[in-house]
Amino acid sequence: MSKLGVFDISVRYGKVPAITDLTFHLEEGERVFIAGPNGAGKSSLLNAICGRVPTTHGRIEMDGDLLTGRAPEAIARLGLSMVPEGREIFGSLTVEENLRVGTGIRRDAEAVETDIEEIFAAFPILGERRRAAAGALSGGQQQMLAIGRALMTNPKLMMVDEPSLGLAPKIVDQVYDTLVALQEERGLTLLIVEQSSLRAARVGGRMVLMRGGRIVGEGNAADMADRDALAQAYFGNTQPEAEEVA
Amino acid sequence: MTNLAQLFFDAASLGGLYAMAALGIALIFGVMNLVNFAHGEYIAFCVFALIVPSTDAVAVMLLGRAPALLLVPLVLSLGAAIAIASEYAVFRHLRRADPVAMMISSFALGFVIRNALLAIYGGRPKAISLWPELNTPVAIVGADVPLLQLIVILTTLLVVAGLAGLLKKTRLGLEMRAAAENFTMARLLGVKANVVITGAFALSGALAAAVALIMATQTGVADVRMGGQIMLVAFIATVIGGLGSLPGAVAAGFLIGAASVLLQAFLPLDARPFRDAFLYSLVIVCLLVRPQGLFVPASAKPRV
Ligand SMILES: Nc1ncnc2c1ncn2[C@@H]1O[C@H](COP(=O)(O)OP(=O)(O)OP(=O)(O)O)[C@@H](O)[C@H]1O
Ligand SMILES: [Mg+2]
Repeated sequence: MSKLGVFDISVRYGKVPAITDLTFHLEEGERVFIAGPNGAGKSSLLNAICGRVPTTHGRIEMDGDLLTGRAPEAIARLGLSMVPEGREIFGSLTVEENLRVGTGIRRDAEAVETDIEEIFAAFPILGERRRAAAGALSGGQQQMLAIGRALMTNPKLMMVDEPSLGLAPKIVDQVYDTLVALQEERGLTLLIVEQSSLRAARVGGRMVLMRGGRIVGEGNAADMADRDALAQAYFGNTQPEAEEVA
Repeated sequence: MTNLAQLFFDAASLGGLYAMAALGIALIFGVMNLVNFAHGEYIAFCVFALIVPSTDAVAVMLLGRAPALLLVPLVLSLGAAIAIASEYAVFRHLRRADPVAMMISSFALGFVIRNALLAIYGGRPKAISLWPELNTPVAIVGADVPLLQLIVILTTLLVVAGLAGLLKKTRLGLEMRAAAENFTMARLLGVKANVVITGAFALSGALAAAVALIMATQTGVADVRMGGQIMLVAFIATVIGGLGSLPGAVAAGFLIGAASVLLQAFLPLDARPFRDAFLYSLVIVCLLVRPQGLFVPASAKPRV
């Protein structure tokens, strides 16, 4: 049984279809990148999995439990955590309070404290500003906080929507180093939306290409990045055309 | 001549009453974007719960006869209960509805409660006497201040401090603040929507009950319309304070109370009957200058 099973789902906003008949699996401990042009439906897929938007068709399972139709808080309690596009940190709460919001579902109170210290060790700037309002953090710091906050629920599967958006390359490196280290340490399964195939190749893992609400290609991130570079050399695309790399 | 200390106590106690009513509205708005216009009817409901149901002109105390130590928690629980019940019966089914639909259904719910009270108790205001001894004045710094005013000021401070403590120091408080800022994100982190919303309604209803007890003691009247008037002021206070901002609601409640007392004291005699026109002109000026509210925290603005 795979960690996450997405079977033939469709998502639409009113009449606008965002995802059409999409099937996709994620194995335990895997790291999978989702790439694709703007409007491909990457965020919609993540939002459907975490219960934020309803599916019009199909079903989603995690560890054999049906997620479809469950409330977001119920899904979170099954061990799924999300770093949404745009981070959505709680600006009026302090940094530390942000980290604690998701700990209500845990029964291991002592581990919560050590986990908080672990996040502060991974992102020292958050520790320095633990009592500051989170709204006063820079964009990169907010991204670190959003990741830390998602980790604090002690998830088994974590989804991150475009961690590199708007961040300096050096910060992106740091964010990915931390994600990979934490994944190895905790046996997390990671699903990451990442536009840059080069970045995905460097971090390593499987890559899924989406376009027009469907999956149009899949493979090892490093191979996909090579083909990407080739396609760019031949066709001079800045945005990889899904069909050509698939 | 008007005594300054007297003015201060008048302003602080009226402002405290408004602040508590405004808090009750802001709490609910914060977690579910609902301006609950039935809040005023919760207040009236709690006042009428003090007396024996009958349409007679003379009120006979029922709950109101209980000793204060029993009466206060009982009425607070009643307020919490009617608020929770209305969430369960009405608002729970409208969570995904748009804010206007929710607001209109809160009007409807208010009408239902008000008409139920009218049917049971009749339409005429009734004289009631709850803790009449609290209206005896005590002399403080040269002013004759009814004991009740001091109690109202003290209660407001305690309620505000207690609520601040609850919001700052407890798990439920943390979840309520997170949910007030971004409900969906809080749920994605496992915060249970039902717990937070029920908690907010319970607190809001208890605040309505506190306002009811104060108004009943102060005015000595049980009137179906009494909730509607204070609801209007409280609603304005939450708008001026910045909808959803709890500190804003408290500050604006005090501000409106103070403005109203000061206008009453210092307007020329001929203009005094039109005090409310002046008051609401000030409100309009406030909203023209800061339409987003006076006390919206900088952090509430989205960042990119
Ligand atoms: N809340 C919404 N209401 C209406 N349409 C939406 C909404 N969110 C997304 N869409 C539409 O659904 C489609 C998929 O959007 P989605 O956000 O999932 O794409 P994406 O791959 O995440 O894009 P990006 O790379 O820009 O983040 C787009 O056509 C978009 O316009
Ligand atoms: Mg997106």
